[in-house]
Amino acid sequence: MVSSLPTVPTTIAAESLSKAFSGAPLFRDLSFSASSGLVAIAGRNGSGKTTLLKILAGLTRPTSGRVRLETDGAPPLSVSEQRLAIGWAGPDLALYGELTALENLAFFRRAAGRPESEPVLVRRLADVGLAEEAMRRPVEEYSTGMKQRLRIAFATLFDPPVLILDEPMVALDVDGRETVHRVVEKARKRGTVVLASNDERDFAEPEQRIELAGAPGREA
Amino acid sequence: MSALSRAWAVCAKDATQELRKKVAIIAVFFFAATALALVSFGVGPFGLRAEDRPPLLAALLWIILFFAAATGLPRAFVAEEETGTGLALRKTIPAVYVLAGKTLFNFILFLAMAAVTIPGFVILLEWKVGSFPAVAAIMVVGGFGLAVVSTFLSALVARAGQRNVLFVLISFPLLVPLLQTAIRATTQATTGEFPSEGLRVLIAYDGAAACAAYMLAAVAWED
Repeated sequence: MVSSLPTVPTTIAAESLSKAFSGAPLFRDLSFSASSGLVAIAGRNGSGKTTLLKILAGLTRPTSGRVRLETDGAPPLSVSEQRLAIGWAGPDLALYGELTALENLAFFRRAAGRPESEPVLVRRLADVGLAEEAMRRPVEEYSTGMKQRLRIAFATLFDPPVLILDEPMVALDVDGRETVHRVVEKARKRGTVVLASNDERDFAEPEQRIELAGAPGREA
Repeated sequence: MSALSRAWAVCAKDATQELRKKVAIIAVFFFAATALALVSFGVGPFGLRAEDRPPLLAALLWIILFFAAATGLPRAFVAEEETGTGLALRKTIPAVYVLAGKTLFNFILFLAMAAVTIPGFVILLEWKVGSFPAVAAIMVVGGFGLAVVSTFLSALVARAGQRNVLFVLISFPLLVPLLQTAIRATTQATTGEFPSEGLRVLIAYDGAAACAAYMLAAVAWED
């Protein structure tokens, strides 16, 4: 039997993170920690927001430093649990175009060893504003905005205590933006949301704010 | 949920995608059919001396199976990277389950291809098989090794530039021992002998390849 993800406060801590691709580092010795609320990541295009978020999500290795995930008063998370305890959605995230939204979510739940019934998955997709008819259509037929809603559903699929969202409002209409705001508000009550955006309106009273300057010469 | 169920979820997902798009299936079966037709035109039932037929036909059969498989099996991980779904997989599912599921799918694809190709080979080239159970055993054991190595190498080269060239370059030395043994065992099966030694070598190869793939799955796919 697979244990469930932690419901106790979970802290994500970045310790002296540095990342360089070629030449000057994008950021150097970046540290912060958060166990609840919203962490806003701001900066120009090319300043390293997406890279930082991928490092926090465990999808990219930092050049130096590390990311820790700690649960207060609970046993340490296994590698598998850590993988699921951080939800992530970014512009690079793609789901299977040949499958429907429901099939996509059902697959990831099953392959992660935590299958979920169809009614629960339907509710998850309804929470991000996808109509039931749309949930049963192949994702390759989706508009850009619908794909973005599905990305948000993927990021919250395991009810993670840490939710990382990279430009979550991109391509969304007014209704979609309100939906994401609701998701973010719900998630920040449960744990931590790390959100990167170029639009200040996306940061609703953040508890922390990290401004990335980026490497000289890398700005768009 | 057991490890097998999780691997099966990946295999079922790949099968569903493949049945809806038919990219690998068309590539593999079209290559096998074309190669079979060309070989039958070139060699035919009478193009070889009787004493040369068993080893040459066994070699030709494995050449067709190997190159047909090489058009489809490497897609396992490469397609995930090309479509951008690799990030979602890496984010949620440990590499070992992804590798196991994709290996299982490739193994089934190989067996399906062999099940279609071999009867065609028997008819078009008048291939006389002494022991069909032995040929079936060689296909199962040899196909498993081919699926394990191809799937693992697909994970290894998925994020590299020039991945198709790289796959062929890396796979050649790793698959030569398997192909050589499979061809020799198939030759024996053609003449009616049971290739027990060849099968033992193939089983040992499969075991070693599966262990190496299991231990290196995370390095190949996640790093």
